[in-house]
Amino acid sequence: MRTSRTIAAVAGVASLALVATGCAGGSGDSGSADGDVTLTVATFNEFGYTDELLQKYMDENPGVTITHNRAATSNDARDNFFTKLGAGSGLSDVEAVEVDWFAEMMQYSDRLADLSDPELDGRWVDFKTAAATDADGRLVAYGTDIGPEAVCYRSDLFAEAGLPTDRAEVAALLEGDWDTYFDAGRDYTEATGKPWFDSAGATYQGLVNQIEYAYEEEDGTIIATENPDVEAAYEATVEASADLSAGLGQWSDDWLAGLANGAFATMLCPGWMLGVISGNAPEVDGWDVANVFPGGGGNWGGSYLTVPAQGENVEEATKLAAWLTAPEQQLAAFESAGTFPSQTETYTDEVLTGATDEYFNDAPIGEIFIERSEAIEVSPYKSVKYFPINDAMQRALTRVDVEGQDPETSWNQWVSDVEALG
Amino acid sequence: MTATVAAADARSIRRIAFSQRVSHWDFKLSPYLYISPFFIIFGVVGLFPLLYTAWVSVHEWHLIGGQGDFVGLDNFAFVLGQSQFWIALRNTFSIFLFSAVPQVVVALVIAAVLDQNLRGKTFWRMGVLLPYIVAPVAVVLIFSNMFGDQYGLVNNALGSIGIDPIGWHSDVIPSHLAIATMVNFRWTGYTALILLAGMQAIPRDYYEAATIDGAGKVRQFFSITVPQLRPTLIFVIVTSTIGGLQIFDEPRLYDQFGQGGADNQWMTITIYLYNLGWGQLDFGRAAAVAWLLFLIIVLIGLINLAITRRIAGSGDAAKVSRRARKEVTK
Amino acid sequence: MTATLETRPEESAAGSSPAERSQNRRSGRNTNGRPGWIAYAILSVVILGSVFPLYWSFLIGSGDASTITRADLPWWPGGNFLANAATVIGNETVNFWRALGNSILVSTVVAAAVVLFSTLSGFAFAKLRFRGRNGLLIFVIATMAVPTQLGVVPLFIAMSQLQLAGSVWAVILPALASAFGVFWMTQYLSGALPYELIEAARVDGASMIRTFWHIALPAARPAAAMLGLFIFIQTWTNFFWPFIVLDPQSPTLPVALSLLQSNFFVDYSVVMAGVMLSTIPLLILFAVAGRHLVSGIMQGAVKG
Repeated sequence: MRTSRTIAAVAGVASLALVATGCAGGSGDSGSADGDVTLTVATFNEFGYTDELLQKYMDENPGVTITHNRAATSNDARDNFFTKLGAGSGLSDVEAVEVDWFAEMMQYSDRLADLSDPELDGRWVDFKTAAATDADGRLVAYGTDIGPEAVCYRSDLFAEAGLPTDRAEVAALLEGDWDTYFDAGRDYTEATGKPWFDSAGATYQGLVNQIEYAYEEEDGTIIATENPDVEAAYEATVEASADLSAGLGQWSDDWLAGLANGAFATMLCPGWMLGVISGNAPEVDGWDVANVFPGGGGNWGGSYLTVPAQGENVEEATKLAAWLTAPEQQLAAFESAGTFPSQTETYTDEVLTGATDEYFNDAPIGEIFIERSEAIEVSPYKSVKYFPINDAMQRALTRVDVEGQDPETSWNQWVSDVEALG
Repeated sequence: MTATVAAADARSIRRIAFSQRVSHWDFKLSPYLYISPFFIIFGVVGLFPLLYTAWVSVHEWHLIGGQGDFVGLDNFAFVLGQSQFWIALRNTFSIFLFSAVPQVVVALVIAAVLDQNLRGKTFWRMGVLLPYIVAPVAVVLIFSNMFGDQYGLVNNALGSIGIDPIGWHSDVIPSHLAIATMVNFRWTGYTALILLAGMQAIPRDYYEAATIDGAGKVRQFFSITVPQLRPTLIFVIVTSTIGGLQIFDEPRLYDQFGQGGADNQWMTITIYLYNLGWGQLDFGRAAAVAWLLFLIIVLIGLINLAITRRIAGSGDAAKVSRRARKEVTK
Repeated sequence: MTATLETRPEESAAGSSPAERSQNRRSGRNTNGRPGWIAYAILSVVILGSVFPLYWSFLIGSGDASTITRADLPWWPGGNFLANAATVIGNETVNFWRALGNSILVSTVVAAAVVLFSTLSGFAFAKLRFRGRNGLLIFVIATMAVPTQLGVVPLFIAMSQLQLAGSVWAVILPALASAFGVFWMTQYLSGALPYELIEAARVDGASMIRTFWHIALPAARPAAAMLGLFIFIQTWTNFFWPFIVLDPQSPTLPVALSLLQSNFFVDYSVVMAGVMLSTIPLLILFAVAGRHLVSGIMQGAVKG
C-alpha cells in the first residue's frame, strides 16, 4: 500500500540523516578528564580572532581547547546574550558585548565575573575602562576595539564646490566646533545645492557623545528631557539638517546607495566605517578621510570581552580574555579585521602607525585614528536607560529629518516616550 | 443433552459478551490514546511556556534581573494606558485587513483554477508555493528595493507616469499596503494549496449532477464548492486570523531598525511586545501584552468563525448539495 | 445498509484514455476534459510573480558584490554563481555540510512525526465521540493565539532542565506539538472521511487501530502530504529558536548561512548564493511531494 511505502521511505531518510550527522560529533561537551578544559568564545561581526590566533593560545596553554562561536550581527548577539542571561544558563565562557547594549545590563553587573587586575591597569584608554567599571568599582569587561571618529569626505565633490581637497587643508577647514562644521557645510550647499551630511541622526550621535551626563545621573535619575545640553544638541542638529542633511537614515538601502552616488559630501567616520564605504562604493575613488572631528574627538562603537559568572571555567576564561585583549593580540586582530585597538601600548607600534588605506587615497589611517582617539576628552556616562532614550531620540530626529515632522512636535513626542520608559 | 446444549449456548453467549466488552473499551479509550502524543509533548513545550508567561505578566519582571514584586494587573493597566499600544493595535488591524481579505479571496480563485484537470499539475501546484520557500532575507531585500522612498522601483515607475513619489516608509497607510503586499506574496500560494486540498476531497459527482441540472461553473462554485469547503474555510479563516494578528517578521524587516517606524507607522502588537521585552528588557509588561493579544485574537477569531459559518453554512447551498447527493445514490 | 461511493475518475497527468474520454462525454464535460486557456493564463501570471524572487536571488548570486547596489539590474545572470556557491560551501565558519545534514534530519523527523501525531489526533477529534472533545479542540486552537516571541525564555529553561540544550532534540521536540497540524487534520478529515466508511469497517469487526490505519490514513493522504510539506518548509526555514538553542558548532542551515552576513560590509552575491543553495533541497522536495498532492482518491469504497 502506498501509504506504508511512503512512511518507510521517510523513516529511511530520517535514519540516514541521523547516522550521518547526529551520531558524528554530537553537541560540544567539555572533556574535563584530568584538568582539561574546553572554553567557548562567542563573538559577532568580525573581531579578527582567527583560528591561528586561537591556536597560539592553545599551544601556549596545553590542556585548553577553544571553540569559537560566532553570531552574524551585534543584534543577534545581543538577543542571544539577554535570552540566556534571563534563562540563567547557556552563555559561552567568554562573551563579546558591544558598548551600546552593554550599558543596559550594568545594573546586573554581578552576573559578570569581576575581572579587575592591578597588573592590567593602564592597558586601555581611559574612557574604555570607565565604561566597563560598575558602581562598585569592579572592572567587568576587557576592552577590545574602539571607534575613534574622523571625518570622511568626497574630495571630488569638494573640488566641484571650490573647497580644498587635500587632507591637511580639509582638516584645517573643519577644525573647531560644530558651528565650524556646519558653516563649511553651508558654503558647500550654497555652491552645489547638494546635501553636506547623511542624516540628522548620525550628526546628533557625534554631538551627544561629547556630553558627559546626557540622559542620566550617576545616581540613576533621568535628566534627559530637562538637560539643556541635550536640548541644545537637538536644536543645533535640527537647524543644520534643514539645509544640510540628505535625510538618509543610516544603514537604510537609500543610505547605502548614497555612499556610492554622492548623495552627501561628508560623514562622521569611525575606523570601522571605512570598510563599509569601500565595500558599498567600490567604483568611487573620491572618498578620503581627514584628521579632524568637530568638537575635538568622539567615539562610536567598540566592544568588550566579558566572563559570565554562570560559567563553569571562570578562572581559565578570565585568563583567556586577558590574553586576547593584550596589545600583541589586538594588533594581530587589527591586521586581519581592521578593528582599531583600544590598548594604549599599540599606539606606538609600527603596525598601527604605518597603516594606510588604498581606497581612501592612501590615507595614513593608523596615524589619523590614533590622534583622533587621543583627542577624546569625554567619556559619556551610559547606564540602564541610555539605549532606549537615545533610540527614542533617533526616532524623533528621523521624524523631522526624513519624514518632515516639525521639530517641536517631534520633541514633545520624545519627551512623552521618555516618560513612558518609567 | 438439553443440559449440554444449554451449557454450550451459555458459554458462547459469554464469549460474545467478552469480545464486545473489549471492543467497547477500544472504542472508549482509543480517542484519548490517539490525542495523547500531542498533549504529552504539548504539556512540556507548550503549556509550561504559557503558564510561565502568565506568571511573569503579574509580576514586575526584568529580563535579566528576574522576578520582582507581585503587581497584580498593574502591567496590564500600564500597557492599556500607553498610546503606543493602541497605535500598534490600529496598525495590526489595518495590516491584517489589507492582507487577510485579499489573500483568502485570491487563494480561493487560484485553488479553484488548480482544482481542474490541468496539464503539468505538479508544476503549477508547486509553483504557487515558491514564494513561501524563499528566505526572508531575500524577500526583504527585494521588497525594500521596490518600496524604497527615494530610490525604489515602484516610485520610479509611478514617477514615469506622472504620479508623485509615495512615502512608503514615512506614511502610515502606504507602509501598511507595502507590508501587506509582502505578507500576501509570501502566504497566498500556501493558503491556495490548503484550499485546494479541501477542494480535492469534494466528490466530482456533485459537480456532474449539477452540470446535468444545468448549473454553470460559477453557480457550482458558490453552491457546491464553498459549502463543501466549510471545514477547510473555517480552518483558513481561523489560522489566517491568528497569524495575521501576530504578524512580526515582515514589519520587523521592513526597515533597518526593526522597530516599526520612527513614528510607529507600522509597529504591530508583536513588535511592540518585542520592543518591551527585548528592547527595554521589561519582561513583565511584554508578557502582559502577549496575554492581551491572546484575548484579542480569541475575540476576533470567534467573530470570524461566526461569519464564516454563515457564508459557507446553511440555507440554499446545503439544500442544493443534498439534492446532488440524492441524485448520486439513485 | 450499503455504502456505495463512486470513485472520482483518476486524474491522469499523461492524458485521457479512450475509456475516460467516453466517461467524460457521458458526464457532460469538454471532450478532452481539460480546462481552457483562461486557467493557464491566470496561472502563468501567478507563477511569474512567484518565481520572480527566486530568479532575482539567482541573479544577485551570480553576480559580484556590487551587483546589488546597481540601480539598473541586469536581466541575465552573471557567471559567478558556481564560484559564489563554492565560497559558501568552503567558508570555514559556515560549516555547510554539517548544517545541511542537521537541517535535513530535523525537518524530516519533525515533519514525519507531526503528520503522524496530527493525523491520530485529527482522526480522534473529527470522527470519534468522547468526553471533552469540543473543549480540548478549542483549547488546542486557542494555544495558537499566544505569541511565540516570549516563549523563548521559558522554553530555553525547559530544555536546559531536560539537559537537551545544544542538541538537535531541543529543536525537534518543541516542534512536535503542532496545534496547527492537529487543527488542519481535524478539519480535513471531518470533511473528507465519511462516517459510512468508518461504520462499515466497524461492522466488519475492525478494531479502532485497524480502522485508523486502513481507512483514515489513506483518506488523509493528500492533506497529510500537504501538512508534511508545510511543516518541513517551516522547520527548514526557522531561524530564531535554533539560533538560540543549538550548539553553534552544529547549527541548522539558516543559522549557518546568517554568518555570511556578519561584518559591517556584506557581500550579497555570496549571501544570495547561500539562499539558493538552501532552497535547492526544498525544490527537490517539491518535485517529490507534488506527486502526492495530485490525486484526491479515496481508496477502497466499501461495499456490501
